Amino acid sequence: MKTILVREIKLNFKNFLIWSISVGLMGLSCILLYQSMEGDMKDMADMFSNMGAFSDAFGMSTLSIATLTGYFATEVGTVHSLGSAMFAAILSIDILSKEEDKHTGEFLFSLPVSRSRIVAAKGICITILLVLFTLICALFYIAGFIYLKEELPATEFTLFMTRQLLMNLEIAAMCFGISAISGKSRMGMGLGIALMFYVYDLIGRVVPDLKDYLFIGPYSYANASEIFSGIEAGISAFIMAAVVMIIAVLFAFAFYEKRDLAS
Amino acid sequence: MKNVVEIRNLTKTYGKNRGVTNVSLSIGQGDIFGFLGPNGAGKSTTIRSMLGFLKINSGSIKILGMDSVKDHAKILENVGYMPSESWFYSSMKVKDVIKYAADVRGIDCTGEAEKLCERLKVDRDKRIKELSYGNRKKVSIVCAMQHKPRLFIFDEPTGGLDPLMQRTFFDLIEEYVNEGATCLLSTHVLSEVNKYCRHGAIMREGELTMLDSVLIDDDTFLRFYEE
Repeated sequence: MKTILVREIKLNFKNFLIWSISVGLMGLSCILLYQSMEGDMKDMADMFSNMGAFSDAFGMSTLSIATLTGYFATEVGTVHSLGSAMFAAILSIDILSKEEDKHTGEFLFSLPVSRSRIVAAKGICITILLVLFTLICALFYIAGFIYLKEELPATEFTLFMTRQLLMNLEIAAMCFGISAISGKSRMGMGLGIALMFYVYDLIGRVVPDLKDYLFIGPYSYANASEIFSGIEAGISAFIMAAVVMIIAVLFAFAFYEKRDLAS
Repeated sequence: MKNVVEIRNLTKTYGKNRGVTNVSLSIGQGDIFGFLGPNGAGKSTTIRSMLGFLKINSGSIKILGMDSVKDHAKILENVGYMPSESWFYSSMKVKDVIKYAADVRGIDCTGEAEKLCERLKVDRDKRIKELSYGNRKKVSIVCAMQHKPRLFIFDEPTGGLDPLMQRTFFDLIEEYVNEGATCLLSTHVLSEVNKYCRHGAIMREGELTMLDSVLIDDDTFLRFYEE
């Protein structure tokens, strides 16, 4: 299993580096832009905080973008949420199905290793790469705060990055489950899932009737503006995340074990 | 002679589509068994069922005395399989693919792999994506043979190989079989079966017919394709 895990990490490493550096650099660029915009931020902050539902959706009614912390939560929070979720989806949606899609399955499955061990190796690969992705992005963001000589709110920042990792794992688990039933690349579907949940969360924060159902989506407990405002996510969101992840991963193991593999 | 492969009443369907029906087959140790039949007859379905890629509807498959479902991984330790298409991870180098296959098996096959690469003239420093179909086939032969399995399963192995490499391939099979291995050779080429196989069978529309002798003429052979 170790050999397959190492191979899988190597196969995905280039993709991982591109995404982690790209998302990290985008976040860092946003942070560095703050310095040049700082003077105008006061007026913008007042305007953005009084835009009703729009301000609520992007968290600008609770946080001021005139402060680096508020700016980070609203701007970098969005960049990281979307970037990391897309990476999680891309990484996991094809990780099992690519063996059949690219016709490498016959080689892999003729080696003396059970299907469940192959699924386990690929699942562990996703987890390792998502943890490393989060760490690399975190380093970029910390570098931005250090460069601007601003104090990093360490507790909120750690909580934000941890919740983002959890959100990434949840999206990855859903895509992993889909990958187990598919013999073809489903990249579009993976990206669609990541974006659909983001839009669901956004709409849920604007439409009052949907607020009670926000916990269904993985973005609900990873919202940067809530975390940096000290608003606690409801326990139902975490229970939902745990249930979704367990079911998706167990489904991947069970289904992959039983299905016919295409040549 | 001990049976290395024992298939009893194997049936496999793909939804409403036929795969194979009630196939029974025994291959003794040391045999080179020719498996003939038109495209879509069910040869690959039988092979893929033996290797556990497909979940069978009914019947039983025993390989080396082990159950193909329960002892799947253990069976694959002793099997060398060469698929017809021979695809690998395109970005990997040939030597890395060969080492990867050995590493997953948890054994050091360096010596045997070097010998095979030399005889088959495999360029180990090239990447898979740089290889022609025939050269990918040669890599596949090395991966199937380097761990000296007790059973070889080759699915249309000579397509893309030049005549000299075809000769080398069959020389290698003879050598391993003389050391106690067994070989199942799925092919469309009657002359290969005539020349190298000791027993054979023809599949047609999912059903298997054992051949009394592998020395059949072209007309008899083609009748299976036409009827």
